[in-house]
Amino acid sequence: MVVQRPAQKAAPQGADERLLVQAAQSDPTKFDALYELHFERVYYFLARRVHNRATAEDLTSEVFHKALANLATYQWRGAPFAAWLFRIASNALADQYKRASREQSSSDDAQNPDEHPDLSPPDLDTIDYHARLFRLVDHLPAVQCQVIRERFVEQRSIREIAGRLNKTEGAIKQLQFRALQTLRAQMEGGDA
Amino acid sequence: MPKRSPAVQLDRAIEAMLIALQPEAEPPNPALAQLMATAHALRDLPRPDFKSALKSDLQRRTTMNEATASVPQSSRTVHFRRPGFNNIAPYILVNGAPKFMEFLVAAFEAAEGIRVPRPDGSIMHAEVRIGDSVIELAEANEQYPPHPMTTHLYVSDSDATYARALRAGASSIHAPTDDHPSGDRWGAVKDQFGNVWYIATPKGWVPGPEGLRAVQPYLHLRDAHNMIPFVEAAFGAEALGVHKSPDGHILHATLSIANSTFEIDEAHGEFQPTPGYLHVYVTDTDAVYAQAVRSGAASVTPPNDAPYGDRAAAVKDPFGNTWFLATYLGTGRA
Repeated sequence: MVVQRPAQKAAPQGADERLLVQAAQSDPTKFDALYELHFERVYYFLARRVHNRATAEDLTSEVFHKALANLATYQWRGAPFAAWLFRIASNALADQYKRASREQSSSDDAQNPDEHPDLSPPDLDTIDYHARLFRLVDHLPAVQCQVIRERFVEQRSIREIAGRLNKTEGAIKQLQFRALQTLRAQMEGGDA
Repeated sequence: MPKRSPAVQLDRAIEAMLIALQPEAEPPNPALAQLMATAHALRDLPRPDFKSALKSDLQRRTTMNEATASVPQSSRTVHFRRPGFNNIAPYILVNGAPKFMEFLVAAFEAAEGIRVPRPDGSIMHAEVRIGDSVIELAEANEQYPPHPMTTHLYVSDSDATYARALRAGASSIHAPTDDHPSGDRWGAVKDQFGNVWYIATPKGWVPGPEGLRAVQPYLHLRDAHNMIPFVEAAFGAEALGVHKSPDGHILHATLSIANSTFEIDEAHGEFQPTPGYLHVYVTDTDAVYAQAVRSGAASVTPPNDAPYGDRAAAVKDPFGNTWFLATYLGTGRA
């Protein structure tokens, strides 16, 4: 899928991000700010590559725990902090693939050559696009937000969602439609 | 057939996307196509519960670290390791340490560091550097008899390293292969002192900034799954990747202590337990020693100010491995 880069509020860059990193290095309880800034990026980077929500969550957790544990060793060399996180994520991905390969090699199944991990460099524009979109979902009206999460995260049917929200199926489809319109408009307008 | 509303058309396309069916042909509608692009992007939307749970988990960890720290921030961030050291170094005791050093230099292009001789000329303590890591060694003695160890080396060319190791006197366990389950180019040798060396060249990944070093101790253990809670409790280790067989045996696990990792698995076949020695730099030797003993380790040497400038102690884990704990008391930067 080709995505266009939306106008956006830039994440803290350069000096601002450096200050966040330095603050977390001297006081790890301030790691929160870096986590909030990069969670969606790291999650999307991994989710696109493993196509499995549970594995994406495990690896995302691994990346942030490793980042926190090794924050003291991080040295600012001008590259965005995200580049460091993506490198950790790439290694976690490769390690996960190796573990999966071991599991597969101990079974009788033939190995699927198509299951090699995608270790290509991260496409930062696409990652930022998705990270912004994911954050915008939080700012939808509450009921639209719930419909989007039920539909895309839980992958519930319109009928199930209608039952859970005590609304008609038609109303749920309209809420879904309006939510996507809102998200689309905000992404194009750079309103995040 | 009545024309479907945009909301219905959109939902039919979303339904097809979510269950991975080809969407039915609809009249071209650029507006809906744009919404579908947004819908596609939402397939990877993270669970909000996961984001908040992970955040809480990280907060607990930072809070615990703060609460358990008993030394000032300035002295526990960078100065507790000796300069040039990582958090974990294998300490290999052999009979014939000088020859062993020669082997490490010839086989693995180790750079000789310090060498502290005893009056009789034997080696009391020595260090060699391989890549970004240090291996310590000494002549075995009555208190610390020889214990062959298994070490995982990450090198740039496993074939060349393997060949050098054989020329230096090692025997082959496995010639380098691309078929190892790790996915790495991987071979193994045993040196003349009984130590096993896994020689790997990473494929498709880079030993990176999060702690995978050129040298990783590898412990084959009986009931290896019990090692994980022990090192978590005793040393604040973290399990980075645990791969279990269906019956619960550890097929492979990577554990980290600060900036270094070691690996464990359930002893099997020719890879039986060979309890060894590990040198671990910690922020507070006294506190970690006490915590390790509370967690089931046996005291070997209580904390003391070692003549070489470390606060040092030693404990033995329930698997027979000896952990030399140390906090560097000098002022050089790690």
